[in-house]
Amino acid sequence: MNPGTRRAPWLLLGLAALGVACIALPLLGLVRLVSWRDLGDALGSAEATDAIRLSLWCSAWATVLSVLLGVPLAWVLARLEFPGRRVLRALVLLPIVLPPVVGGVALFAAFGREGLVGGVLYDRFGIQFTFSTAGAVLAETFVALPFLVITVEAAIRALDPRLEEAAEELGASRGTVLRRVTLPLVAPGIAAGAALAWARALGEFGATITFAGNVAGRTRTAPLAVYLLLESDPQVAVALSLLLLVVCAVVLVALRDRWWPAR
Amino acid sequence: MRRGRSCPVAVVLLALGIAGCAASAGPARSGVTGEITVSAASSLTDAFTEIAARFERANPGTRVTLNLGSSSVLAAQVRQGAPVDVFASADAGSMSRLRTAGHLAGPPRVFARNRLVLVTRPGNPRRIGSVADLRRVGTVALCAPSAPCGRYAARVVSAAGVVIPEPAVTRGIDARATLGAITAGDADAAIVYATDARAAGAAVTRVPIPEARDLLAVYPIAALRSSTRPALARAFTRYVRSPEGQSVLRSAGFLPAP
Repeated sequence: MNPGTRRAPWLLLGLAALGVACIALPLLGLVRLVSWRDLGDALGSAEATDAIRLSLWCSAWATVLSVLLGVPLAWVLARLEFPGRRVLRALVLLPIVLPPVVGGVALFAAFGREGLVGGVLYDRFGIQFTFSTAGAVLAETFVALPFLVITVEAAIRALDPRLEEAAEELGASRGTVLRRVTLPLVAPGIAAGAALAWARALGEFGATITFAGNVAGRTRTAPLAVYLLLESDPQVAVALSLLLLVVCAVVLVALRDRWWPAR
Repeated sequence: MRRGRSCPVAVVLLALGIAGCAASAGPARSGVTGEITVSAASSLTDAFTEIAARFERANPGTRVTLNLGSSSVLAAQVRQGAPVDVFASADAGSMSRLRTAGHLAGPPRVFARNRLVLVTRPGNPRRIGSVADLRRVGTVALCAPSAPCGRYAARVVSAAGVVIPEPAVTRGIDARATLGAITAGDADAAIVYATDARAAGAAVTRVPIPEARDLLAVYPIAALRSSTRPALARAFTRYVRSPEGQSVLRSAGFLPAP
């Protein structure tokens, strides 16, 4: 072994440790802020229970919508060849890198009462997304959908095409192949994508507060409640923060090496 | 080695030279230089941006960094040790809590006052004429209950004998965010500071309400004990209360201190 390989690992380890510290220290700091004695009371308070209930409701619906719309979209991106496919994929993945507040402004431009589509919905049918739970679900779906698409698309791409080809040769229709062969095979990928989408939807803040507003019981999900209560009721804010942290950690640990299909 | 010996000497000479330049910067009003951080209520955004720019021009070598937000949040930051030199609050409560805890370098001084006003979408399509009408519109934007503008709004609403159900209220973290809910959002009405309504111009329609006539928001300012530039901090608070500072506040629509 030459001196080069003996020296490199220490530097690498040092930088890696710094990277871990970057993430671990703030989280440890958060845990330190928690008053364990009052945790039960804090989580049981009216603001906390409202926020948790709303968060669960909205993130569940956002996950369902992400699966309903995302799986077909992932299949199209993985299996169909058409001009502009790369542009479409970039578009679908845009919310991952777009600042959430910008997403909220964009949602407002499209679905606000005077928006592109929202204007028609409001004037003709009286449907309003802003300041409503539906708006919060829409905002969460906007940010969560790309995570499901990216996970499921990779899973579909990783499938052995011969299995589907064999089914077709045996006389199965395209729909049957999809139902009986493709979907069961990518089911773990869909589950992983759904878990990721759910965690992302649960933590959404910028788009929700900008588009759906900050209305108690309607749009004030846990992250918004934390923001509002940070100064006036820090115990509840910290308790909610801890809860969100634990939920996200559990999701990530459960996904383990499935979390990012390496292929 | 020649290079090794002359290097530190050069560095010291350079440092002295720079220090000399900074100390003798132009005809400074206050004779102090440096940087300060001013935490100010978000309703002071426009006025203090202008005042800071004028202060920097009048005092070459100085730099004022504004930290804007809800007064209650800003006060909490100071209590947690944020390196702030001056604090300008939208209510006496946030300031007095800091005073009790010993964070102020001197007694706070009121430098402006403000009124609250009800604003609606341009043209007042829902024909809102009073606080009571707020119960029949879609969504009303108010500040967070713990923010000064939220507390003032609560007093106005209760003075009118009205209760607005929470599901009909969207809460802004500070005055500007609350205004944004109606200028860049779908809120039907909001209770904001008169200065913010004025800044919004034609984007809102103002509805004067009798309950707000007697309610005056009081704005105190004080230099903080933890400041590393106490002379500059005091100079800034004096400038805010000087005729120049007051004229900027007046043009923004603030009322003078009593």
